[in-house]
Amino acid sequence: MSESTARKLICYRCKVELQPEKTYFQYLGHSFFTDIPKCPVCGLVYIPEELARGRMAEVEQELEDK
Amino acid sequence: MRDFKETLKNCLREEPPFCSCACPFGLDVRDLISRLQRGSFNSAYRLFQNTVGFPAIVAQVCHRPCAAACIRKEKDEAVLLGKLEQAAVAYAANRRPNQYQLPAKGKKIAIIGAGPGGLACALRLTARKYEVVLYEKTNRIGGCLWDLLLPEQFLAEFELQLMYERYELKLNCEINDLATLTADAIYIATGPEGNRFGFCGAAGASRQDGIFLGGGEQPADAIATGLRMAGVIEAYLKTGLMRQPETRKTTRLVMDAAAIPFAPPAVTDGPLTRDQAVQEAGRCLKCQCDACLKHCDLMRYYGKSPGRIEEEVEVTIHPGTLDGNGTVATRLIASCNHCDVCKNVCPQGIDTGAFLLQSQRSMQEKGAMPWPFHDFWLRDLEFSNGADCALVRPAAPGERSSYFFFPGCRLGGSDPRYVTESYRYLLSVEPETAIFTGCCGAPALWAGDQALLQSTIEQIRRQWLDLGRPIAVFACVSCRNIFRQFLPEIESRMLYQVMEQHGFQPPVTAAETARLAVFDPCQSEDDPELHRAVRVLTEKAGCRIADEAELPLCCGWGGQVSIANPPYFAQVVRDRAARSELPYLTYCANCRDVFAGAGKPAYHLLDLLFALNRHTGREAAYRRAPTASESRQNRRLLKKTLLHEFFKEEAPMSENRLPLRLSPQTAEKLQRDLILLEDVEAVIRHCEASGEKALDESGLCFGHLQIGQMTFWVAYRPTADGFCLENAYCHRMSLGGE
Repeated sequence: MSESTARKLICYRCKVELQPEKTYFQYLGHSFFTDIPKCPVCGLVYIPEELARGRMAEVEQELEDK
Repeated sequence: MRDFKETLKNCLREEPPFCSCACPFGLDVRDLISRLQRGSFNSAYRLFQNTVGFPAIVAQVCHRPCAAACIRKEKDEAVLLGKLEQAAVAYAANRRPNQYQLPAKGKKIAIIGAGPGGLACALRLTARKYEVVLYEKTNRIGGCLWDLLLPEQFLAEFELQLMYERYELKLNCEINDLATLTADAIYIATGPEGNRFGFCGAAGASRQDGIFLGGGEQPADAIATGLRMAGVIEAYLKTGLMRQPETRKTTRLVMDAAAIPFAPPAVTDGPLTRDQAVQEAGRCLKCQCDACLKHCDLMRYYGKSPGRIEEEVEVTIHPGTLDGNGTVATRLIASCNHCDVCKNVCPQGIDTGAFLLQSQRSMQEKGAMPWPFHDFWLRDLEFSNGADCALVRPAAPGERSSYFFFPGCRLGGSDPRYVTESYRYLLSVEPETAIFTGCCGAPALWAGDQALLQSTIEQIRRQWLDLGRPIAVFACVSCRNIFRQFLPEIESRMLYQVMEQHGFQPPVTAAETARLAVFDPCQSEDDPELHRAVRVLTEKAGCRIADEAELPLCCGWGGQVSIANPPYFAQVVRDRAARSELPYLTYCANCRDVFAGAGKPAYHLLDLLFALNRHTGREAAYRRAPTASESRQNRRLLKKTLLHEFFKEEAPMSENRLPLRLSPQTAEKLQRDLILLEDVEAVIRHCEASGEKALDESGLCFGHLQIGQMTFWVAYRPTADGFCLENAYCHRMSLGGE
């Protein structure tokens, strides 16, 4: 588990820990989902940098070239 | 789009080379040479054999019209194709012909004359399993070859190539009357002096059904005719139609002999060894029109000719499936630098760039072009033409302007003084010069956003009319060309030509005795006067010009392709930066900053002319490129400076900047991802105002905000005097939806 996904994060407003939860994304008319840390109360999400620069960037490129 | 397909009919890419057209057999010399260059003698032999029938004979007796046609002879000496053919024959491991198991056709052809032409015709027809009877008036086969070669050379070859075929040979059998023959077709191959049975004319189908004439002054011609006529005879037997053989191909190919590197043959006497053959094959240019492929970065990068690009773009814009699968060229379309090089170098003037721009528009209109490819630059256009930067003012209030200076948005973004000093100079020679800062609309043009381009152009037109229809003075060739295309009513000059015409004398310092390579911007191809003026000014500044380029090329910036295709952009920049080891002298702010960003020493001409960025002799060459955030800040500062210095107005900076500290590494990261500080500030403001943020154990805050369609993430800490940014990144996907 990477540093940022292992990072314990607290929602500033709700004061509860973010928990992995299925979250949907959209890009260029396509929809998909993955588990990312999310506040169980207000739904605040956190996308770690390695996810944004890694798998998400790969999928973005694949869809652009589709 | 259809127009381009039509235009491509003029493309010379598929034109055959001169040697193939001169060859009696129409030999695919390019293919043969490619095989020899790889040292594939077996493969070369197979191609040669399939084309000429009797390779060992043709390699010896051919009269080589290819040599006369070879463009190499303009430079040194024609490629020794004969020796290469002989090498293919000599070094082929297996010279046997292919054996074809086909059913007999049940048709009979009488061939009169068992010379090379008759035997060549027999070779093809027997391979196709026609019944062939050869009538020869003498007691031997081979005809004229007896006078040219040793019998063992050609008799063995006939035997080898016909080893799997059956035919009837009647020696000492002179035919005087065709009516005595019983056959479905007759081929008269009696040689130049032979009996033509009353038929005259060239080789081909006679006026009488079923009777065909051979011909050829040279033995190679006779063999080639025999092979060709076998096809004509077969067509007649199948259809009953007396067609003439296809005429020999001609070519529209154009090659520049002057550009051929000098490389005479290493060996001219005797047969070639394998290595010598490979070396000699290497002398062949494999003549093919490759002007666009050679000069256009995009075509070279993708290895695709205009024809191939057209096909791929067509299926991308009109995909064959409902879900749009097969849109193979989306990124390619968005990667064109629109530098006009393809059109400028094409002997036919084919403009693939214009086609790609049209394709970009089509994709944009369909909503099929991924928005991130141009989003950043469209936002930049909006910023340049917004209240923070745009300034349109006559030199004196209410006065009609004779000229207006349109520096373009990137010049002031690079260094505001490029604009202020140029404007100061222009006012000194023409006091009625208005200032007109902003963006010409190039990002909208390149993004294919017609509506935005139109509104930008219309806005410029209205402001120009308000100024009293003055003449434009440009510092940027791209801006000038956009005006020429969309605002043709506006007369224009280039700043550097104005300066040269007014005899501008730049300051000369000892440091400026450097040798420089002028990097003319793309789209300046048709402006030799501009090129001249730039060189005059450069030399006046005490610099010596060297390493002149063949033609103006794009630095990589054109089309704003860096987001759509980062590896391609990087490749173009690398290639351009490597053209000369000397520092570059540019007169396009984008070229200057692109090269500086790649670590290539580069001056803007205005650095020399106004002694800017010259703290030490070479420092200007290494002045780093401004980041995207700095470029914006420079444009804001430019407006403020112009108002202050030329109009005595104090304009407060309209922005409300957040006190933000960040390390140089973080700043570099932001630049790499084109994340603006103002975007970062917007995210932090949002997080702080709404409380929508997460904290880790150390108190580091994480938050995000979607600005436009891009989602930005920041990691920051509040400090006593503001905020400290530790990280920022972004993604194109948006959160939400199912």
